[in-house]
Amino acid sequence: MFDYYFKLGLRSLRRNRALTALMILTLAVGVAASVSTVTILHAMSGDPLPHKSDRMFVPVIDILPVQGYVPGEKPGFAQSQMSYIDARNFMSSNVGVRRTVMYGVAGQVEPARKDLGSFFAQGMAPTRDFFAMFDAPFLYGQPWREEDDASGADVIVLSRALAEKLVGTSNPVGQRVMVLGRPYLVTGVLATWDVVPRPHHIIGSKGAFGAEDEFFIPFASAIRHETEHDGGMSCNGDNNVPGYQGMLKSGCTWLQFWFEMASSGDRAQLQQYLDAYAGEQRKLGRMPRNAPNRLYDLNEWMSFLQVVDNDNKLAAWLAFGFLLLCLVNTVGLLLAKFSVRATEVGIRRALGATRRDIFRQFLIETAVIGLAGGVLGLLLAFAALAVVSQQSAELGTVAHMDIPMLLLTFAMSVTAALLAGLLPTWRACQVTPAIQLKSQ
Amino acid sequence: MLRMHNLSKVYRTHMIETHALRGFEINVEQGEFVTVTGPSGSGKTSFLNIAGLLEEFTDGEYILDGVNVKGMDDNARSRLRNEKLGFIFQGFNLIPDLSLFDNVDVPLRYRGFNRAERKERIEDALAKVGLASRMKHYPAELSGGQQQRVAIARALAGSPRLLLADEPTGNLDTQMARGVMELLEEINAQGTTILMVTHDPELAERTRRNVHIIDGQVSDLVQHGASLARAPYPASA
Repeated sequence: MFDYYFKLGLRSLRRNRALTALMILTLAVGVAASVSTVTILHAMSGDPLPHKSDRMFVPVIDILPVQGYVPGEKPGFAQSQMSYIDARNFMSSNVGVRRTVMYGVAGQVEPARKDLGSFFAQGMAPTRDFFAMFDAPFLYGQPWREEDDASGADVIVLSRALAEKLVGTSNPVGQRVMVLGRPYLVTGVLATWDVVPRPHHIIGSKGAFGAEDEFFIPFASAIRHETEHDGGMSCNGDNNVPGYQGMLKSGCTWLQFWFEMASSGDRAQLQQYLDAYAGEQRKLGRMPRNAPNRLYDLNEWMSFLQVVDNDNKLAAWLAFGFLLLCLVNTVGLLLAKFSVRATEVGIRRALGATRRDIFRQFLIETAVIGLAGGVLGLLLAFAALAVVSQQSAELGTVAHMDIPMLLLTFAMSVTAALLAGLLPTWRACQVTPAIQLKSQ
Repeated sequence: MLRMHNLSKVYRTHMIETHALRGFEINVEQGEFVTVTGPSGSGKTSFLNIAGLLEEFTDGEYILDGVNVKGMDDNARSRLRNEKLGFIFQGFNLIPDLSLFDNVDVPLRYRGFNRAERKERIEDALAKVGLASRMKHYPAELSGGQQQRVAIARALAGSPRLLLADEPTGNLDTQMARGVMELLEEINAQGTTILMVTHDPELAERTRRNVHIIDGQVSDLVQHGASLARAPYPASA
């Protein structure tokens, strides 16, 4: 009977055309508004490394002075980055299967091509493990070698966009490029890396939804050349020694550090290491606050740094509120549409339809309206996302529809229609056939 | 085929009780063509609605084709209605946005017949009422008499044991009414039991048996076109 009811539902779209069009439009607008905001929210809060996010950890230790400390308070920006001293110690710890420290770098790129002038580019200075830890996809070549990390060699991995800008579509591995005022040997080129949010950029000048990094140089190379960092730094007045070397020896926090453990179960082991490390540092007169040492896995880290901020969540709630309003309107429109069908219900009941048959027929009819609303809602959502993505580059990276969101649009529209149809359908089932048949 | 014994129907509101039928007795045999007459408000429609399982009765007994319908739930009543009864209404009650084919198809869908059987039954029924060539037409494209023929085809398609007709010629002119009546007589001649409510004494006289209802009781019985009993029908209230 489903196909029969479905055909009746399709046929019913032609009945009361203005009312039907209004219902479909109401549903579509409500669904489009909700799906657009949820799509953005979904992209912003998605797990960028689902297969390993529970074993990727950011350590947060508090090296600030006792002054101003409120026990139990949430770590702030200063604690969410790391000093060079601690990062160096962690790097030499051998804890976990991989470790990386990184900071943002930026400067001029001087192309060999005469037709291109020098231009500004932003990149990162991580260690070799970074590429494997964050699943960076290589188009050509590979990461630099461990020895390059140790020696601070001038090697570089380019983004696809920068490589194409410099040498076109040919493979530049083995060539030297002038970046930050010195020649770097290209060891690899990344394929387009469109992971969103960018887990290694949750803190950073580009942010989790910023554009791709254009190049990567070894952390040790960047330090060796005293390359300025491109990002935030917190010093709390303890950078007494001037200059770059003074910054490295200070308690200024400006680096990001990540551990990759073999399994999520190794978290306790990492926590033990962190607590032991803090204990040792206190013996050396550091970390006077004795604040809890914290570990955040990737998703906890995104939540802690509010990758999805309250404004985004509020927008989603408002959109759902709007959908609810649309639903209430649809209920009214369906009541009007079904009220003129009382005679048909009476006829069908007289001819043998049970109340359940009528319920199914009318509910499937509302589902057909929901499907139509879903199709129109999808078009409107695409349009809305296109408009949103024009607002900024960051929004452009998140405002795009994917298959789960596409399916959600239809599911949401049909569910909304079914919910809206429950009361009108129930009322249709209550029709007393004898009265309707006699009234004709 | 249809037997009601000491049946009553009371409509209750907050303020008043209205007895539509009281101590109602009737027995319709298989193959009979019975007309039901009576003044407005006498209980004819209540009787027909109860006979058609469209309304429940308050008290008494109703046996339809050997099945006691008292206390049946909605599903069972609907199934029984679908299998054993056919309806013809004064206002035709066709569904306007379904073709004639699809209108006749409605009760067959609820019966659960497969596609081939439904098609055969629909074509047979429409052929029987002389509308086989117009099965793709819509009700609005037909005259009143033709619409009533479609309603008859719809009622017949499921091979009902009992055909219930409520003023089937009430909305038709004399010529069309005669045609519909002749069709019903033909159907009855083929063995289908018919119970027809009418205001038209001429039509009532054409049938073998006429039941007259006054104040919710059977008050008169006319058989073979001649009055057999003018005295009030014994009501065992």
